[in-house]
Amino acid sequence: MKKVHKKISKKCAAALLAAAMLLVTGCGQAEKTIEGSVENIQPVDITSETESGQTENGDSKPDTDRGGAAGPDQGPETAGGAASDGYLFTADGVSIAMDADAAPILERLGEPVSYFEAASCAFEGLDKMYTYQGFEVDTYPTGEKDYISTVILKDDSVATGEGIAIGDSLEKLQQAYPEGKLQENGMIVCEKGGMKLCFILENDEVKSIEYRSMALE
Amino acid sequence: MSENERNAESAAEKARSEDSTESVENKKYRAWLRGIVSALIVFTSLYLLQRLLVPKYVDDVVEGAFIAEYYGEEKDFDVIFIGDCEVYENFSPAVLWEQYGINSYIRGSAQQYIWQSYYLLEDTLRYETPEVVVFNVLSLQYDKAQREAYNRMTLEGMEWSPAKVKSILASMSEEEHFLDYVFPILRYHTRWSGLSGTDLEYMFDTKPVSHNGYYMRVDVKAARDVPKGRILADYGFGEKPLEYLDRMRELCAKKGIELVLIKAPSLYPYWYPEWEEQVEAYASAHELRYVNFLELQEETGIDYSTDTYDGGLHMNLSGAEKLSVYFGRILSGEMGVPDRRGETELSLSWEEKLAAYEAEKQEQYRYYGMKQ
Repeated sequence: MKKVHKKISKKCAAALLAAAMLLVTGCGQAEKTIEGSVENIQPVDITSETESGQTENGDSKPDTDRGGAAGPDQGPETAGGAASDGYLFTADGVSIAMDADAAPILERLGEPVSYFEAASCAFEGLDKMYTYQGFEVDTYPTGEKDYISTVILKDDSVATGEGIAIGDSLEKLQQAYPEGKLQENGMIVCEKGGMKLCFILENDEVKSIEYRSMALE
Repeated sequence: MSENERNAESAAEKARSEDSTESVENKKYRAWLRGIVSALIVFTSLYLLQRLLVPKYVDDVVEGAFIAEYYGEEKDFDVIFIGDCEVYENFSPAVLWEQYGINSYIRGSAQQYIWQSYYLLEDTLRYETPEVVVFNVLSLQYDKAQREAYNRMTLEGMEWSPAKVKSILASMSEEEHFLDYVFPILRYHTRWSGLSGTDLEYMFDTKPVSHNGYYMRVDVKAARDVPKGRILADYGFGEKPLEYLDRMRELCAKKGIELVLIKAPSLYPYWYPEWEEQVEAYASAHELRYVNFLELQEETGIDYSTDTYDGGLHMNLSGAEKLSVYFGRILSGEMGVPDRRGETELSLSWEEKLAAYEAEKQEQYRYYGMKQ
């Protein structure tokens, strides 16, 4: 009986110790890590090779009267290694994919009209907003690099790869993006390749167009 | 066998039986004792490990320390601010005291959501009942928590109470677990590889990082090219924030506290006119005072080229002090918050705090290479 009790006690102690060891070593799970800086963003692995890259034209050619969309004879360059197979926005021959490395894209786009950066409460790293003629590019930091989080079309001087611009009708939008889904808040969202293309309408007219990464959601 | 021998045999057997029973009971007792001692050793070890592994918020990211600092105070405040960085970076309790004798505290934290503000108010009311509660309305835009890290910076500093439990439950995302808040070691165990001397030094101690909840920054970065807000699909505040605004208002009314809504003069995140309309309507409908400092630039004297340290998101010391001078006039002159500079003990306490405030000011000026 004495031996049995000893065995049980040893087993209990061993079990408790094992539990403690598991806690310390991380249980073998890949978890988000909250470290000294309490950084909580999952690193987005977007280190893909630079591809020749093509805009998402679908069946409709982009409206070449508007800037910001690739002309039919141009081979748009996708700077920064477009990692997603989502919708791309192209401006001045530069295709921009969500979650792409921002540096080469920004270099190709050249000097912005304006620039603004916003630090999050408490965290290091800045959200950055680069405004160009007709559109804005926002980035988010992960590690040492910035990645594309959003592209916002500001006026009708630019258009999406499928030829939709601010001021276009709902009908035209639905023809260009039949896959778009109407949300509760009235927004039409096209989701593809880990990103969203969002349209806000007012009186059946496109008021806002945004390409959005889903990495931060 | 004679009767005596039988009796002796019987007595001996009885004695053996009693010995055996006692021996079994002793063994059980010793086994229990060993078990309890083992468990104590393990749980004490885990507790110490937890103290070592949890973030200390004393150097790089200090915002996580703000909530807990309140508990070390003499809780006798007439004004309590609750809210996000737009309160803890934009108002100086030191100036409110110096200029008006107002004893105040800022229970602010990074991206504090309105439900967290509400439960912090409940928590505060466990200790005291202020005359005025000031709430910054920016957080009305959030219908759900955005980041676990922000949750933790607000929630982990709270002392355990029903308010904390409710706040955790209201804040947790689907990926989070309540037990991780009860036993933070479950969440922070991977920090072991990045521990620093600070983690050891502040295992059981902390150092003050705020001034009655105010986070001081003296540096300057002028605001420029602040973008206008993006067009939103829906400008309505969600049900959850409005529910908690109601609860906050009702709780204050029940306790005889005057609730004041404010919007700090931060240029970013963008404060939409549509949001402003809703807050104005709410304040009007419920006869609440609402002060939008974005509309009072002239009156407060805020200069966005000198009074912000991050391009217009938050005020620096200069901006915070200007706002406090202006707001103090409202608190004191219009709302009757008492001037307590005549109270000896409180004045002595504030003398120490003001000395620390001044010392940090000077230290920051030196650090940033600035002249006062």
